[in-house]
Amino acid sequence: MINRFSFLWLAVFLLIPTSTKAQVTPKVTNPDIALIGDFRAWYTSEGPRNLDMEMSEVETSFRSVIDPFARADIFIGMGHDDGEFEFELEEAYLTTLNLPYQLQAKVGKFRSNVGKINRLHPHALPFIDVPAVYANFFGDEGLNDQGASVNWLVPNSRFYQELSFEVTRGPGESESFARAEGNRMLYTSHLKNFWDLSDNASLELGISGLTGPNSEGRNTTIGGVDITYKWKPLQFNTYKSLTLQLEAFQSQKDLGASTIKANGFYALINYQLARRWFLTGRFDQADLPDNPDWNEKAVSTTLGWYLSEYQKIELGGRTSWGPDMDQSYQALVGMVFVIGTHGAHEY
Amino acid sequence: MTMIRFKCLLITAVTCFVATSAFAQKKLSVVTTLTDLQQITQQIGGDKVEVISIATGYQNPHFVDPKPSHILKLAKADLFITSGLDLTTGWAPSLLASSRNSKIQSGSAGYVDTSVGVPLLNVPSSVSREQGDIHVFGNPHYWLDPFVGHIIAQNIYNGLIKLQPANKAYFAANLKAFNEALDAKIAGWKLKMKPFNGTKIVAFHDQWPYFETAFGLDIVAFLEPKPGIPPSPSQLAKVMNTMSSQSVSVIIMSPYEKADAANLVAGKVGGSVLHLATSVGAFREVKTYFDVFDYNVNLIVAALQKASH
Repeated sequence: MINRFSFLWLAVFLLIPTSTKAQVTPKVTNPDIALIGDFRAWYTSEGPRNLDMEMSEVETSFRSVIDPFARADIFIGMGHDDGEFEFELEEAYLTTLNLPYQLQAKVGKFRSNVGKINRLHPHALPFIDVPAVYANFFGDEGLNDQGASVNWLVPNSRFYQELSFEVTRGPGESESFARAEGNRMLYTSHLKNFWDLSDNASLELGISGLTGPNSEGRNTTIGGVDITYKWKPLQFNTYKSLTLQLEAFQSQKDLGASTIKANGFYALINYQLARRWFLTGRFDQADLPDNPDWNEKAVSTTLGWYLSEYQKIELGGRTSWGPDMDQSYQALVGMVFVIGTHGAHEY
Repeated sequence: MTMIRFKCLLITAVTCFVATSAFAQKKLSVVTTLTDLQQITQQIGGDKVEVISIATGYQNPHFVDPKPSHILKLAKADLFITSGLDLTTGWAPSLLASSRNSKIQSGSAGYVDTSVGVPLLNVPSSVSREQGDIHVFGNPHYWLDPFVGHIIAQNIYNGLIKLQPANKAYFAANLKAFNEALDAKIAGWKLKMKPFNGTKIVAFHDQWPYFETAFGLDIVAFLEPKPGIPPSPSQLAKVMNTMSSQSVSVIIMSPYEKADAANLVAGKVGGSVLHLATSVGAFREVKTYFDVFDYNVNLIVAALQKASH
């Protein structure tokens, strides 16, 4: 009996590998391709045309290892620019796979490694509207530039620590930075610390620093902290979770005649109500980096319904106010869908 | 003076040599995706390995959150053992890419895919997400067939001897012992399940085809209308109908699925809900790969005996 079993499995073992390999072949030659559609409709309390909708963006991603030494990630977006659809290279970068000393390098165009959410694509966020501090300091799309990046997994056996340093050419679209005429670059660095508090909870603390040329040909320096607490019970992690997150930035923009100091932060709570339902509440406060008098506050809430791994519908409400602005109200509907391979989410 | 220097040098050299050979005897650091692979690796690797698993036995292996702390473990690993296919595509590749460890990347000597050689079930003839969370290579929950334990063990053994050829005899002896013990256990489980050959049951999620085939059960319906889509009222009504008309008395499910829907259906048709072990560590008493089947077989046999009285 025993011998017969063993023999049978030995025979199966010898026969199968060729057929498994045959199935895997297409994946080796083609990159992982995905298309993400992002549709939005909204109502605002201001303006003559205050009810509108748009197919906000279609993002195509191509991702694959190049060879044993590096991988490539390319994201091409097709979105609105003054009513016309236009292609835009969102990200395209090469990442090394086996540098020594736990180093990893990246070259190309990429979202800068600052703060907690800057590296995430907007459709991966649990809300429709970008936090005011990000919009004001880095632009609606976040800070995204061309250059090189090195990050180092600090050999610390007690907790996870990752230090990154980036040199980029200076972004075109940002309130804080601009491309300089001389050989001046934008430098950013980020230190990420991560602790497992238990099997079910974790804490992340990040520190960011940025310095680079601004529109006046002088320097802007920004410092930031981000704190994220996550509770996600392992056993029922598809049903329940809670995230508390805070990010704060301070900017100093040297304009020659004066130096403008600006602050901004957001705090959010994201609670998973059920397997497919998430509720997010957020408070925003942000100055403008080159206008000391401007200050904006906002409260927003988003209800997300994740029909499957590949589709979500979000309903959002937002009100914002400030000393130089009337209180305004917004209602938003967003719909995001993915076809093709769907990559992992960042934790 | 020169003599003393020479002696110092000699002592240093000897110390270095001893330290290096101690280093060579260092345990292999192994990281597995699943606890079942961890436990089988521990049995074959014995005291030559130190094994940890990323997923716990009581969570859904599809939806493991790739935490930075996992990267820390992978960065220092000599060997990475995965169940392969597309069970862990949501998290294992991104962890590997961030590990900065070239020893354990796919294609390296330190990467073992235990699905190699496993005769797969439910390999789809066409692939569309219309079908829910489908698996393009076939159902990936193959370790729930104890026969497949032999193939998993063989793959793990192949990986271990590649990295530590000096310990080949030791690993081979452990593999043999594992295979013999497993065969003896399989004979026992089959004997216990024999009276219930062909019994119809219902499952929450489509993750039991290997278990079903190995033990001669017949899963006639799932609470999920499509894999990964939560049970809908119409599906539950359909399942209740099936259970009544075909006199099905048992619903099986994993420890990480919410039991509300199953309890509702079982309550209506007078059946019972069994939380089976999907992996080592699913419940406190399930400590080894053999315990997974001991636990499940005992639970099913007890429920079916009760139902037949």
